[in-house]
Amino acid sequence: MQITVLNDIKNHSDLLLAWTSRTIRARYQQSILGILWAIAQPLAMMFVFTILFTRIIPVDTGGVPYVVFSYSALVPWTLFLTSITDMIESLVANMNLVSKIYFPRDILVISVMMARLLDFSIAFSILFLLLLYYHLPVFTKEWLFLPLILLIQLCLSLGLGLLGSATNVFLRDVRHLFALGLQLWFYATPIIYPVTMIPENLRPFYFLNPMAGVITAYRSVLIYQTPPESYLILSGIVSVVILIIGYIVFKRLEPSFADVV
Amino acid sequence: MSPSLQFDHVSKRYRLGQSAPSLRSLLRSKKSSQGERYHWAINDISFEMEPGHSMGIIGPNGAGKTTILKLLSKVTRPTHGEIKVNGRFSALIELGAGFHPDLTGRENIYLNGTILGMKKSEINARFDEIVEFAGIGRYLDTPVKRYSSGMYARLGFSVAAHIDPEILLVDEVLAVGDMAFQKKCYDRMRLLTKEGKTIIFVSHNLRAIQSVTSRCLVLYRGNKVFDGDSAEAIAEYSNIIRQAAEEYRNDEEIEKGISQRIMTHTATIDDVSMVSEEGYPTATFSAGDLVKVRAKIKFDEAADSPVLACRIQQPNGTVVYDFTTLWAEIPVQKFEANTVVEIEFKLRLNLVEGIYQLGVNIAYNDLSRYYDRIDRALDFVITDTKGGRGIADLQADFSVTNIQPLDLREPVG
Repeated sequence: MQITVLNDIKNHSDLLLAWTSRTIRARYQQSILGILWAIAQPLAMMFVFTILFTRIIPVDTGGVPYVVFSYSALVPWTLFLTSITDMIESLVANMNLVSKIYFPRDILVISVMMARLLDFSIAFSILFLLLLYYHLPVFTKEWLFLPLILLIQLCLSLGLGLLGSATNVFLRDVRHLFALGLQLWFYATPIIYPVTMIPENLRPFYFLNPMAGVITAYRSVLIYQTPPESYLILSGIVSVVILIIGYIVFKRLEPSFADVV
Repeated sequence: MSPSLQFDHVSKRYRLGQSAPSLRSLLRSKKSSQGERYHWAINDISFEMEPGHSMGIIGPNGAGKTTILKLLSKVTRPTHGEIKVNGRFSALIELGAGFHPDLTGRENIYLNGTILGMKKSEINARFDEIVEFAGIGRYLDTPVKRYSSGMYARLGFSVAAHIDPEILLVDEVLAVGDMAFQKKCYDRMRLLTKEGKTIIFVSHNLRAIQSVTSRCLVLYRGNKVFDGDSAEAIAEYSNIIRQAAEEYRNDEEIEKGISQRIMTHTATIDDVSMVSEEGYPTATFSAGDLVKVRAKIKFDEAADSPVLACRIQQPNGTVVYDFTTLWAEIPVQKFEANTVVEIEFKLRLNLVEGIYQLGVNIAYNDLSRYYDRIDRALDFVITDTKGGRGIADLQADFSVTNIQPLDLREPVG
């Protein structure tokens, strides 16, 4: 099978941008807080978990304030969660377009993910302020790993998004399955607890979860000023495999999208 | 010259019923699993078009017109056969399908343009032309949800017609626009044809088809029944819809769908026909023609002064005319069991050009139930309207009756 996704993106880059901007505009149209909602979710979760894990069940964060510890993971996790959720709905929500006009359908999926990157950068700038507030170093040389970590995360999200959106056209069970799966996934990923709580001998299995490697890497780089652990390589491999599977399934199902009424 | 469009023995099958197709069967192979019900939307259709030509497609609802456009625009793929499209195409299967109601006209021009395949720079270059053609200048920065349906359609057509396609596919989308705009669209299509573009135009408006395209395809239930000169095609079309009406009536399944409880079928309507003033059965009329609607009614049981009715509808369900013997206070006698009765309604078809459906029914005198009811006994076409549009042909005339210089006018009050 010929990999055409890059061609699609290149030839339809204007459409990709237009649809991304449409998604962003439409999302925050007629809302007072607008784009501020982008940070509401990770911030709210941060407060809840901070109260829970500092006052009630203290956890060892390696000397970093729990606020920063949790928020640094919640920001990328929120990107992961919201972009996958949006991607799964992206085809079904635009069936009237899909059934009437031809263009590469992956544009719809990719652009909603890109739209969530805006939310991500806003939430990330709050993280930046938090780091400053707690006198943690910023712009260290480890930050150079950030694009790589983000890229791995996006590969994984897009793979799942392509898989989920294409299958959801035929079976609406998919959205519920993903919602449930993502909820459980949250607890299987070191977001609210440190990875040190996982017994040493179980970690090779634990890190089969690519998000575990990704989140740990964000944290190492952002708040501990250490380069990512080698588990990030495993995350990268798993993510790329998932992206390929997702892409193949998507392209296989794509010709039938318009036939589903 | 090499053809710009080629349809080679193309068939398209859709799955019927509620159940979703199993994912596994879709992923595994193209072969279909047994035991599923299918509907052939189009069946073994072939045609070719060369650049600089236009073709109309007409046919009753469900004939497969839109399916052909969807196949040509790659929205869906054929089950069998091959399609070749040489050149950039633009398909208007639904105007403004990519519009977002909350975004402004300006934003939607860019959005829709890119969906249709234009680059941003190309839209920039044509932006003023698009706005000008659509005539929405003042409302450019208003969200399109506040547009009238006419403005919406104008903007949609304008974007699509300006993407400089080599092949333009136009579905029944212009009906919403006003007359002046429709004319503008038809002119634009003719111009594009002259410039060497290929145009396929689907419409119910027979006159528009005839004025825009010289060739026309007639479809019926997924089959190509005619391919040739537009004027002949329109004549052929009226035969087809008569046949369609016959089959519709015989279609058991559809009959079941029309609530059986309210029909007793102790009397049944048969052989509905429309006969011209000269006495020939036909389905094509000119506006203002006198027509006799004839039917036979077989009474299995006696019926005491039933109510007989005939009704004319537009394909979209708008009732154009409904006539019953009850409202007209025409007395109807009692009919004995085991008789066949011939009835006749006389109507003057003061209708404008278009397609209409004729229904006939016979009801109990208290209107509690029907003996029999055929909502679509026959379809017929009105072809020659002298200029009017709408539904009723009010046979308007026009003249200038007086001209006076302004200053001679009597002062008001």
